[in-house]
Amino acid sequence: MAIRTVIIGGKAGEGVKKAAQVVATTLFRQGWQVFQADDYQSLIKGGHNFSSVSFSDSEVHTAYAKANLLISFDQRSYTAHSEDMADADSLHVYNSDMTPEAVQEARGKTLGLPLSTMMKQIYGPGGNVSLAAVSVFFLWMGYPQAELEAVIAREFKRNVEDNISYAKAVYQAARQAGIGGSQIPDSEFPLISMEQSVQRFTSGNQAMALGAWLGGLDFYYAYPMTPASSILHYLALKTTTHKVYAIHAESELAAANMAIGSVVSGARTAIGSSGGGFALMQEAFSLAGITEAPLLCFLASRPGPATGVSTYTAQEDLPFALNQGHGEFARIVAAPDSPQRAFSLAAELLSLAWEFQCPVILLSDKHLSESSQNLTLPDEVPWARVEQGVPGSSYQRYSITESGVSPLLFPGSENIDDNTVIKWNSHEHLPSGLRTDKAEAMIAMKDKRNRKSPAISIATQRHERVTFYGEQGTAVFAYGSGVMELREARKHCSKPFIIVALIYLTPFPSEELSVYSGQEIITLEHSSTGNLDRFIRQNLDVSIKHSVLRYDGRPFDPLELAKIMEDIL
Amino acid sequence: MMRDLGTSKENTWCTGCGNFGILNAVKKAIGELVENGSKLSDFAITCGIGCHGKIFDYLALSGIYGLHGRGTATAQGMKLANPALKVISFGGDGDSLGEGLEHTLFAAKRNMDITLILHNNGNYGLTTGQFSPLSEPGYKGLSTPLGSIEKPFRAIPLLLEAGASFVARGFSARPDHLTELIIAALNHKGFSFIEVMQPCVSYNNNYAYLNQKVKLLEVIPTTQAHAIDLASDPDHVYLGVFSRKNLPVYHELLYGSANPQKDRPDYLHRQDILHAK
Repeated sequence: MAIRTVIIGGKAGEGVKKAAQVVATTLFRQGWQVFQADDYQSLIKGGHNFSSVSFSDSEVHTAYAKANLLISFDQRSYTAHSEDMADADSLHVYNSDMTPEAVQEARGKTLGLPLSTMMKQIYGPGGNVSLAAVSVFFLWMGYPQAELEAVIAREFKRNVEDNISYAKAVYQAARQAGIGGSQIPDSEFPLISMEQSVQRFTSGNQAMALGAWLGGLDFYYAYPMTPASSILHYLALKTTTHKVYAIHAESELAAANMAIGSVVSGARTAIGSSGGGFALMQEAFSLAGITEAPLLCFLASRPGPATGVSTYTAQEDLPFALNQGHGEFARIVAAPDSPQRAFSLAAELLSLAWEFQCPVILLSDKHLSESSQNLTLPDEVPWARVEQGVPGSSYQRYSITESGVSPLLFPGSENIDDNTVIKWNSHEHLPSGLRTDKAEAMIAMKDKRNRKSPAISIATQRHERVTFYGEQGTAVFAYGSGVMELREARKHCSKPFIIVALIYLTPFPSEELSVYSGQEIITLEHSSTGNLDRFIRQNLDVSIKHSVLRYDGRPFDPLELAKIMEDIL
Repeated sequence: MMRDLGTSKENTWCTGCGNFGILNAVKKAIGELVENGSKLSDFAITCGIGCHGKIFDYLALSGIYGLHGRGTATAQGMKLANPALKVISFGGDGDSLGEGLEHTLFAAKRNMDITLILHNNGNYGLTTGQFSPLSEPGYKGLSTPLGSIEKPFRAIPLLLEAGASFVARGFSARPDHLTELIIAALNHKGFSFIEVMQPCVSYNNNYAYLNQKVKLLEVIPTTQAHAIDLASDPDHVYLGVFSRKNLPVYHELLYGSANPQKDRPDYLHRQDILHAK
């Protein structure tokens, strides 16, 4: 069936995102496949924010730019989105108090409602205009008023009575103006019961946090930076129920070094930030390299360099992620191609980090990290296991082994006797963990660490390192949210193409990709210089026929991208 | 009889270095604590980079030789993951009050239940004697050939203000007194800080000066203002405990009496939590 889109626009502080969340979770609970994306600026009040919720009965991989239902709280939203109507049946409901002279739009219908006046009548000063969007949406879907009241009471806990009065008033005013009766089949309330379901509606960040936790995560250390902050917020909320500890440290430097301290004590630990903050974690990333500390690192990109554009999306950090830290040491870098994948990949990476005692990076971008989608909980994820050493005076933290992996013990744990000494060291070291600068000892320890690399490459093949979407046509290479955009665009593209979604980046999945050797491919990424192109050409003998580059911080609209693909294929 | 706390590592501190006094006092303090019932395997150490850090290699105790300035951050992570550990962070004055000042102040602010031993030799010894955040004005080093034009921090007032619940000062040449302070710090529940005055024989040999100026505190000052006055006294280098308070500790505020290392939910438990309504 068709894909429908609801767009809500207004000022920061008007509850745009919250209203969209209520719309999205209502649809999700009804059994729809939903995608929610939030476009917001780095400010608390004012400006222009909008959220898009696209839904269908089959999976929706990214949000659409054209709306079937558009709700504007203010003049700026009205003007900004007046061209964003999907078709002649689309409806634009706007606040007539803010937009007194509405113009007839190119297509679709418009309806002005005095949302501010009605708000004043019910609340007096204050009030919550975002409820109006929920009311209009309920009516538009043909959902009954009683269900609207229940949802408003559940989702907006402050001032419940007035909220319900306002929501009802808007619902009725809209009905009197002629909206109502859904044109969407099968939208009766409720469609299915989500109670027993293994589905969740989560953002990419929530999915990766929850997946890592299921795989064994105990501690998360971070300093807030968009778009990684919601990992910290989400895990902090789970402290009591999930026994996971999220610590907001004094800086990224502190976070990363505290994390390695927790690893020494045996905790499965992660850190996370965006590019600028991750740059501050680099020295500790190298510390994890030389000390062989298993450390899961979330790197959620936004446009850079430096402060860049705080609340928008980009994939500029690919080389930064691949070349993180100074010095030579093994690491794994992987990028989920959906919030769904983020869940399982986070657990996989945590498990691999502990198996090989090396730092790992889960690379995402704002569009993937902060957008929300249906998540089906997988039956199983890998569990981060520890290869335990034998306590006693002969234990050596960095014992030389054929695999390069030295068994671990943790100070103060129950099996540790007084003669066991466990020494980790940021200097080059002897097997005992004591510092060294001797030539032979340096070679021995570097060789030990390097021996892990071939085994890591083999071990990652347990997992889906590359995913192919489609059966025929030119191969289009992408990663992260680029894959989501292409999957949605493919639904509308008259020419066939295969999406080659790179999940594991380091080690490079040569085995899976060798079939493309000597072929022409297309790439897509959110970068201005073609990082993905260079990366692929370094690792694979392909010629790149076309690179789709976007670097304005915005995700592609699937219809727009479908046109681009038709032109270049 | 407790095992030897020394290691096979060749000691490369200068002859007469104040670090020897600190090393011996730490060994003695841990020996006494173990004699009185502490488990040797519960002690864990970390450090930054500098002459002080070499103590990590000279002590046969578990832990991690950290990054410059970051030892006290690392120590906090160790403690949080296993609160049964008695974690000692060794820091230099450049390390803990320069590169890593934020971690020192925040560990105190949080009343993290760890011990920071500050090896204050008034300069950057290992990088050939540059001025440190605790060097006096006029200090001449390779990076300040005309003399330092900065005023130094005063470690004890700084830590008191940051919220450290145990603050003391020792002298590397008074090992018995220093041993007592280390025992008291390790027995203290909360963030304990000991500034150890330590001559650097190669670049800042203030042994005679310190020896002449040191004076034992007779009692713990009753007010913070008095403690700060005594710690900043230009005529004396007071040794002893400047402040000791019982305050809530960070890890207990975070997770009560739980121990994340021992009480971590296993995979099946996590599946149950995930699917709980």
